[in-house]
Amino acid sequence: MNEEPVRILVVDDEKGVREGCRKILSVEGYQVTIAEDGQAGWEAFQAAGGGFAVLLVDLMMPRMTGLELMKLVREADTDVLPIIITAHATIDTAVEGTKQGAYSYIPKPFTPDELLLAIKNGLERRALTIEARRLREERESRLLEVAAERSKSNTIIKCITDGILVINTEKLIVLRNPNAARILSDTQQVPFPLEALSCAEVKGLIAEVLDGDGGPTILSREVSLAQATYMVNVSRVVEPGAEASGAVAVFRDITVLKKLETAKSMFVSMVAHEVKNPLAAAEGWLNLILSGLSKQDPQEEKRMIGRSLLRIRTLRTLVTELLNITAIQTGNFTLRRSPVEVGRLAAEAAEACRDKAQEKSISLSFTAAASPEARALADRDALLMIFSNLIDNAIKYTPDGGHVGVHVSNDGMYVKVSVKDDGIGMEPADRERLFDEFFRAKNDYTANVPGTGLGLSLVKRLTEMHQGRVSVESSPGAGSEFAVQLPVC
Amino acid sequence: MGKPKLILLVDDDRDFLEQNRGVLAASGYRVSCFSNPQEALQAAEREPPDLVVSDLMMKALDSGFTLAREVKSRWPRVPVILVTAAASQRGFDFSPRGSEDLAAMNADAFFDKPVAPDQLIAKVRDLLA
Repeated sequence: MNEEPVRILVVDDEKGVREGCRKILSVEGYQVTIAEDGQAGWEAFQAAGGGFAVLLVDLMMPRMTGLELMKLVREADTDVLPIIITAHATIDTAVEGTKQGAYSYIPKPFTPDELLLAIKNGLERRALTIEARRLREERESRLLEVAAERSKSNTIIKCITDGILVINTEKLIVLRNPNAARILSDTQQVPFPLEALSCAEVKGLIAEVLDGDGGPTILSREVSLAQATYMVNVSRVVEPGAEASGAVAVFRDITVLKKLETAKSMFVSMVAHEVKNPLAAAEGWLNLILSGLSKQDPQEEKRMIGRSLLRIRTLRTLVTELLNITAIQTGNFTLRRSPVEVGRLAAEAAEACRDKAQEKSISLSFTAAASPEARALADRDALLMIFSNLIDNAIKYTPDGGHVGVHVSNDGMYVKVSVKDDGIGMEPADRERLFDEFFRAKNDYTANVPGTGLGLSLVKRLTEMHQGRVSVESSPGAGSEFAVQLPVC
Repeated sequence: MGKPKLILLVDDDRDFLEQNRGVLAASGYRVSCFSNPQEALQAAEREPPDLVVSDLMMKALDSGFTLAREVKSRWPRVPVILVTAAASQRGFDFSPRGSEDLAAMNADAFFDKPVAPDQLIAKVRDLLA
């Protein structure tokens, strides 16, 4: 097993003894170093750089006694096994020797067999000691690892954003991380009975899992706790080859997801309504023509067809808007850019909204500061969509008889189109979320204004695709001003 | 033959107002149009109508229901026809399954937009008979 020969240091002032030992031990394959007294022995030990398995040492020697040498050697290397060879084989010296760490002693004179047996026993003992120490060290380091692992797990459980409860089979809550305490607004000292848990729904869920017979069980349910919604997952804890040892409940906050879900379903019904209304109106006109109510008067029929066409166009705009937002979201929207006279386009957009403004007796004005012909490298349709959206919004959120002003200015770097109204304005909180998809400010006024919540999100995304920026200034009751800035080309 | 029967038409959509007015007027009814349920109620106070045709979703979500309730509480014998483009909204399906649902809505009839002219006329005649 060990390739290295076992090294033995023999120190005796009797030449016969040390040479005799060398002969006997060398034949057995040991590598033997000899020295004639304690001092020489110590020097030989140091010269060899240690590494001796056995120190065979006489007690009474000049310069340095055997005990002194033993002490020095053991200090340098505790694994060296000292065996005393002495002619003064009294109990006293033997006791003294073993006190100093000697393993055994061999009284002189001794036979080769006696020597070899003592060495063999000593080496076995040494090997056992070393092995025991190795095992001990290994165990200690593993314990350390386990301790580190445990504290790591504790820290993870403590910091995890989900709430965690562990319940044993006796229905005692044995672990509750700080987030679970917060979610359940629970302050009781762990462990405490499941029965004492404040939330009946959670209690029932856990009991259901604990009481279920056989096999792993997982239950998931949405639970509302203090204005938030949690997905509570309770699963049985089953250790391999053992009975179920309890249950673990995990609380995940899904409030944001729920809100998103609500927003999406509201969006879908909104879109359905927004799509169906113009469709139904157009269909209604065609029905009238077919039913003969127009009395086949070409003028009247033309008017009705014109009205249906108007509604169909609105519908097409809505569908385009929806497709655009989806294309932008999925990164499939490409701009077809060319130099565009921004001011002229803004005026065009304002003109297109004039009818709507008139319907609400809103005065819609267009003004341009110097050089309204400033151009930007832009997609004409996209820009028109941006301006129309802003002007349309201003009209929608301004009560009858108000004012909407479109103003174009140019500072040489950017051309700025601002749309200012004296409408209802908005709360700062709404202003922050204004450009979010599907977001619509909720108040008595906006409840009466149809919309998809897509327009401004489209405006922002399109403007940013043009390396421009959108800004908004507004306060409740004081109107709003939206401005789009585009780099001049 | 007295005065032609008066029908109040309430819808925030101009197209529907015009269409239904055309249909009803062609059948000889007097029709008053309103884009706002509040104004319709004020007009009804001046001259109680014989029948009300109202959109369900006028800007404020429940304005059609509110109007129907108001009409029924003041003039219990006046029939109300509700019309909507959004039969389901926010997970609620409004379309009535039977007469109990209609009664709960304070309505005598319920139509999905657009209503075919002959269907509307037939229902109005039926309710005014």
